[in-house]
Amino acid sequence: MIKDEHYPDSHHDVYSKTVFGFWLYLLTDFMLFATIFAAYAVLSKNTFGGPTPKELFDLEYTTIQSVIFLLSTFTVGLAGVYTHRKQKWGAISFFLITFVLGLVFLMMEIKEFSHLIAVGSGWDKNAFASSFFTLVGMFLLHLVFALLWILVLLVPVFKSGISKISLRRLTCLKMFWQFMSIIWVFIYTFVYLLGIV
Amino acid sequence: MSLLGRLGEHAFKHDMIEYGAGLSMVLGGIVVVALLTYYKKWGWLWKEYLTSVDHKKIGIMYIVVSAIMLLKGFIDALMMRAQQAFATGESMGYLGAEHFQQIFTAHGVTMIFFVGMGLVFGVINLVLPLQIGARDVAFPLLNSISFWLFTAGGLYILVSLMIGVFAGTGWTAYPPLAGLKYSPGVGVDYWLWSIQISGVGSLLSGVNFLVTILKMRCPGMTMMRMPVFVWATFAMMILVIFAFPILTGTIGMLSTDRLLDTKIFTADYGGNPMMYINLIWAWGHPEVYILILPAFGIFSEVVPVFSHKKLFGYTSMVWAIAVITFLSFLVWLHHFFTMGAGANVNAFFGIMTMIIAVPTGVKVFNWLFTMYRGKVQFTNSMLWFMGFVFTFVTGGMTGVLMSIPGVDFQVHNSLFLIAHFHSVIIGGVVFGFFAGYSYWFPKYTGFKLDEKLGKYAFWFWFIGFFVAFFPLYLLGFMGATRRMNHYPDGNGWQSLFIVAAIGALLILIGVLFQATQLYKSIKHRKELKDTTGDPWNGRTLEWSTASPPPFYNFAHIPTVHAKDAFWEMKKSKAQVETKEYEDIHMPKNSSVGVSLGIISSILGFALVWHMFWLAAICAVGVLITLIGRLFVKETDYYVKASEVKEIEMRSRSV
Amino acid sequence: MIDEHHGWNLSQKPLWIGFILSLILTLAAYRIVAHGHLTHITLVASIVGIGCALAVIQLIFFLHLGLEEKPRWNLMMFIFGVALILVLILGTLWIMSNLNYNVMPDMGH
Repeated sequence: MIKDEHYPDSHHDVYSKTVFGFWLYLLTDFMLFATIFAAYAVLSKNTFGGPTPKELFDLEYTTIQSVIFLLSTFTVGLAGVYTHRKQKWGAISFFLITFVLGLVFLMMEIKEFSHLIAVGSGWDKNAFASSFFTLVGMFLLHLVFALLWILVLLVPVFKSGISKISLRRLTCLKMFWQFMSIIWVFIYTFVYLLGIV
Repeated sequence: MSLLGRLGEHAFKHDMIEYGAGLSMVLGGIVVVALLTYYKKWGWLWKEYLTSVDHKKIGIMYIVVSAIMLLKGFIDALMMRAQQAFATGESMGYLGAEHFQQIFTAHGVTMIFFVGMGLVFGVINLVLPLQIGARDVAFPLLNSISFWLFTAGGLYILVSLMIGVFAGTGWTAYPPLAGLKYSPGVGVDYWLWSIQISGVGSLLSGVNFLVTILKMRCPGMTMMRMPVFVWATFAMMILVIFAFPILTGTIGMLSTDRLLDTKIFTADYGGNPMMYINLIWAWGHPEVYILILPAFGIFSEVVPVFSHKKLFGYTSMVWAIAVITFLSFLVWLHHFFTMGAGANVNAFFGIMTMIIAVPTGVKVFNWLFTMYRGKVQFTNSMLWFMGFVFTFVTGGMTGVLMSIPGVDFQVHNSLFLIAHFHSVIIGGVVFGFFAGYSYWFPKYTGFKLDEKLGKYAFWFWFIGFFVAFFPLYLLGFMGATRRMNHYPDGNGWQSLFIVAAIGALLILIGVLFQATQLYKSIKHRKELKDTTGDPWNGRTLEWSTASPPPFYNFAHIPTVHAKDAFWEMKKSKAQVETKEYEDIHMPKNSSVGVSLGIISSILGFALVWHMFWLAAICAVGVLITLIGRLFVKETDYYVKASEVKEIEMRSRSV
Repeated sequence: MIDEHHGWNLSQKPLWIGFILSLILTLAAYRIVAHGHLTHITLVASIVGIGCALAVIQLIFFLHLGLEEKPRWNLMMFIFGVALILVLILGTLWIMSNLNYNVMPDMGH
């Protein structure tokens, strides 16, 4: 176990504790989404006469979104590699590319939300719409938070490169983004694809 | 959209009892503020406690807040007992129905979230790091934040007494009653934010303590050499991290129903209220195991020490904890057998519920076998343990009785159920805390508690408990349901309610003895002083430190060679290390916890009263506080070796 | 999860593998929904299967799950979590469908 700068008098490795703790936090986030998924699973057929998933979802549009997010997960992974190699500009570039892809995804999703609201399937209209908006909305909340997080963490990297602290925090951010990607896989699969067939 | 949302004059209109309660709270607060000012202790309070990230300080604060909430929750109980003793036939009692509903709701929320969880997190904070030979928990700042979120959540219950109303739905707040249509007022919103905010605190603690246990054990302490209290805490935290998100999600959806008019748990528009009940209990059942496992852990510490014999069956204890942890996620439907899922579903969950009683039984037998042929000393802690055996076991048996769906159909939501869960929670969690309180008090204060007063307190609690709750078992069988503010006369119920009220008064006397015990012990602390740090001839590492321990816990992180690490050290007459003292790296105090507590209290209040502009500002405030913290560079400091040496020498010479 | 002292943090290779595989599977899922002539059950099973495969691939190649040294707490906690998620979701579906059948007379039958 390598001693780290914070607790030189003990064998407690701060990087290892933080990253493990963050992993545990991600497991709680998985469970949170599972709860909302469970609600969606039960309520997805309850459109109360309103538009059905089949009528509302656009397969091509959502697939493009999914590919964009997949790309962003890949770029955030690359950003992580550059971070661990302490290569400041590689890290900054790829985190910013990830940011842009995430922003595009966000705007595409907001467009879909507006469409749903416009055709009478807003979040207050019926149980299916409510649980859809809650599930995907919760995902977007995580995304907005992650976008903000990228900007905040890149500031010290711009100024003084990749310190031990930045390495730790950027690793957590990268894990968070990749966690979101897995959640999106489940949303794409169980909400959109199964909704359409 | 007015600046004050839906807050208006009407929020301050209450009946005389509520005015009285609100007034006494405010007066109590004023007295505390006045005393702090008069004795010029604000600086001390801020530095020593409020901004501390020391697990020992945080533990004490949890217990202080829980004690205050216990007072509120217990008064709620006394009020209900008084109402039910008289409100039969022509008499409607002294509490209106709406007030009564808020009282039983607040009683449940207070006792489970702000007393149960608070006491348990308090004890774990105090004891855990010392027992594993660590200097603190994995994330000390996060620990402080968790405490302040807990406190912020508790505030809502108190504030709702004065401004607005509290929920009148029962502590689990089932929709559709708790939904927008049938409870449009602020009560359920107070309930929601109280639980949501403190729930985040609990979740963060779950992560914190898990990482602490898995990554910060001192050298030589393998998993199978950990004290059983640590195993119990480990299991509890696993339950916390997987169960609390279910609560977050479920009541999150109830809040979107209420704030955004979503139709998830509504009775119409395709919503499904039964879904709420399903999900809330998927959290709710693990929650009760979250409460009881640490109490079991406390008994595993106390019984061997006062039986002067090592714990019987360490390995089976660990397995029992693991089995309980896993099974606790497989029984949740027994809370709603009667909702109509049918025989197959009910049978599965009924059987699983019966099975989970087995590992608990293993633990009880192991404690009794530990006592067998030991030199048992009936200190206060052992009295509480014996009280637990009777109270918890009878309560547990009534639980197994109700695990049979056919039987449950007869007693679901009757006073039989109420008696059951109070038996296991009071007998288990509360008595467990009291056993731990007597045991660990000298460690953190430097002096023991008066044994005699503690004994009286125990007997009044124990007898009072049975006098208060045994009649409820009978009433349940006789058909009395829970949450009644009035019942027909001529059933023979009233005399039982009166006996129950007398029992509550006996418990009150027990509580008064505990308060007196604390006062007298503080007064006589010189005579009761713990000079060695090991007043009970303990077995675990916390007893190897001075009483109270220095803020850094250990001058040298110990190396451990066996279970019951400290006992082993004493037996092998391990020489006190005369190693060189080293500089110790410690975290600095931080006001981030207090700030987040204050901001989130205002945030919740703003959401309750629909002051959305204020809520938005608070949300931004939370972000700014967190981002600000990310840029702070000076978060730790070094304690010089010379200072460590001085502290150690001083405590040795006493 | 990712111990900074390990090799996979410094290598792009697992990321490329994961990305290509995920891209292929995502497009495959799209294809069978848009153009496939599978029976309903097969279609649903394939979609779900692809989804699970995608999740596993991303867990391994992006999040490096299971590659840490012993004791593998990350993996153990994750597996426990997955088990509980399955219990929650499958249990909920079982319970709710039974409730629907018994208690909602116009909707369940």
